[in-house]
Amino acid sequence: MIRIEDVGKRFGEGENLFEALKSITLEVEEGECVILSGISGSGKSTLLSLIAALDRPSSGKIVVEGELVSKLPDLHASAYRAKTIGVIFQHFNLIESLSVEENVIVPLINSGLDMPAIRKMAEQSMQRASILHKASQDVASLSGGEKQRCAIARALVHDPKVILCDEPTANLDRENSLRFIETIQKLHQAGKTIVVATHDPLFEALPFESRVIHMADGMIGKHGE
Amino acid sequence: MLSRSPFLYFLTLLLFKQKSKHLGIMSISVVMIALVSAVLFISSSLQKTLQDTLDEQADFTVTRIEAGRPVSTPLAWVDKIIEIEGVSEVAPRIHGRYFYAPGEESFLVVGIDFFDEQGSKALQSLLKGIDLKQFFAEESMIVGEGVKDFLQKHYYKDTFSFKTPRGEFKKVKIDEVLPGSLNLLANDMIIMPIGLAREIFGLKEDEVTDITFNVPNDAEWDNVIGKLHLVDYEIRVVEKREVEKAYENLYNYKGGIFLILYIIALLTLMLILYQRYAMVYSHERKEIGILRAVGWSIRDILKLKFYETLILVISSFVIGTVAAYGYVFVLGAPVLIEIFLGGANLENQVQLIPEVSFGTLGSLFLLYAVPFFAAVLIPSWRVAVIPPKEAMR
Ligand SMILES: Nc1ncnc2c1ncn2[C@@H]1O[C@H](COP(=O)(O)OP(=O)(O)OP(=O)(O)O)[C@@H](O)[C@H]1O
Ligand SMILES: [Mg+2]
Repeated sequence: MIRIEDVGKRFGEGENLFEALKSITLEVEEGECVILSGISGSGKSTLLSLIAALDRPSSGKIVVEGELVSKLPDLHASAYRAKTIGVIFQHFNLIESLSVEENVIVPLINSGLDMPAIRKMAEQSMQRASILHKASQDVASLSGGEKQRCAIARALVHDPKVILCDEPTANLDRENSLRFIETIQKLHQAGKTIVVATHDPLFEALPFESRVIHMADGMIGKHGE
Repeated sequence: MLSRSPFLYFLTLLLFKQKSKHLGIMSISVVMIALVSAVLFISSSLQKTLQDTLDEQADFTVTRIEAGRPVSTPLAWVDKIIEIEGVSEVAPRIHGRYFYAPGEESFLVVGIDFFDEQGSKALQSLLKGIDLKQFFAEESMIVGEGVKDFLQKHYYKDTFSFKTPRGEFKKVKIDEVLPGSLNLLANDMIIMPIGLAREIFGLKEDEVTDITFNVPNDAEWDNVIGKLHLVDYEIRVVEKREVEKAYENLYNYKGGIFLILYIIALLTLMLILYQRYAMVYSHERKEIGILRAVGWSIRDILKLKFYETLILVISSFVIGTVAAYGYVFVLGAPVLIEIFLGGANLENQVQLIPEVSFGTLGSLFLLYAVPFFAAVLIPSWRVAVIPPKEAMR
């Protein structure tokens, strides 16, 4: 469960001060799929990064799975990301010089598991993301869709409860986008809590239960408003 | 083990897959380390040999001078010197440079006395393991390696004919060759029975070249010098400490040249480390952000960077010093040695004896490793502490 209370995020200071998020309050139930929609610059990515503890809010608090993530010191924030959160970034954020499998194991390196266990989990995750056949190929030589499936495999490898996707279909063609939605559906059915930030209209009418939240100018409105 | 520890596996994976990133810095580092340690090896080896040579030298050497020019020294002085308080190991010597005109070279000829048990300390160490009885039985000599090579070039294989001041030729058999490890001391040296040497230099029975002795108590030195001048008005005294000083000055002068080398090496190191430093901000910033985003802590990042640097630093240092060791002690430091000795001739064709100062080598390692670690860990830490979202931008 994700609870966001009166969260604000400001960038810069003085004349350059910019309020990317203004008093956001939002609750996402466990197993729920939430679509954050809104035009570019409305603050979707910023909100996702706060949930993932990749950044800290300027005000307000965020609680995920009972943990106050807005105030976590580094060591705990890292552990929280490593355990609870799987992020699929807009630009994939893969390590280009490594192969698919090598990218997928990265979140597990410091997990305390041994190599055989890590390899096994990576294999399962790549299987789920349909990228197992490219396991030993270097990421730099993959197509956009393949890179994304690699990113999905990495995000899922530690079996996180919460999955955050930032513009997952922005770099995909229609066929790959539909494939991605199928993947999301499977994750939803598996009971994951999912938050997708997108302005792709494909997500407005998903074939499964979801809640669309419109964001504009760092604030949120209700679906249909 | 590599396949067991995920951290080690990932570390080697990154090093291997991103080797092009490290190759430039590594190779420049290796060359610099090799150069600097080669110089250190040569200088410590020469210094050691020099020190050994000096250690073996007598505290005092006296000769007779005539009109300021050293001439033959009367053997009778020996008895007078022995009587001076505090003096020990008095030894008359017959030696000198024999100039061989056709080859434009000169040898250091040293005569030794079979019956003189004391001899000089230097000679004793030279003659270790040589059968002296056999040697004194005939008119033969022991030669340094350089002398042997030189004579062979001039078609003297087993014997050599000296020309005495009286114009006669004296044929002497080459009995033995001194080992190459003694070259700094003995490369141009010829050792022969004292009578033979006397004949070659045209000295009379009661004459020698000079007389050496020791004064074990330093405090007595000045006193002894005063008394020596009472032995004979025409005496010249050479003290070991003066010789030491002369060598030291020479060494310091050469050190100046290498100070410039060190400064150049240091500047190069600074430059490549600056490049390494900048690389963290440009190439590695995003990578660190990604690792942080998928759950690596700041500690994990620094650990990775620390071990990565450790491997690079140690391997480049080991490669550099081993290469330098081979270049200096196996190949004999071609080119560089000329700078040290200022051109080659028979006198200074040295074989460098392996002598490694681990203290100096350790300092060199620290001088190299500490800034290297700083150049990687400081920016890595600064990137790791910014929010991963920012680092990945
Ligand atoms: N580090 C930063 N410094 C200054 N401004 C920032 C920073 N990060 C984000 N912003 C600003 O905050 C606003 C919201 O950014 P955000 O990336 O959350 O938008 P978005 O809704 O994800 O847009 P897009 O659809 O283009 O991805 C933008 O105007 C952006 O310029
Ligand atoms: Mg965005």
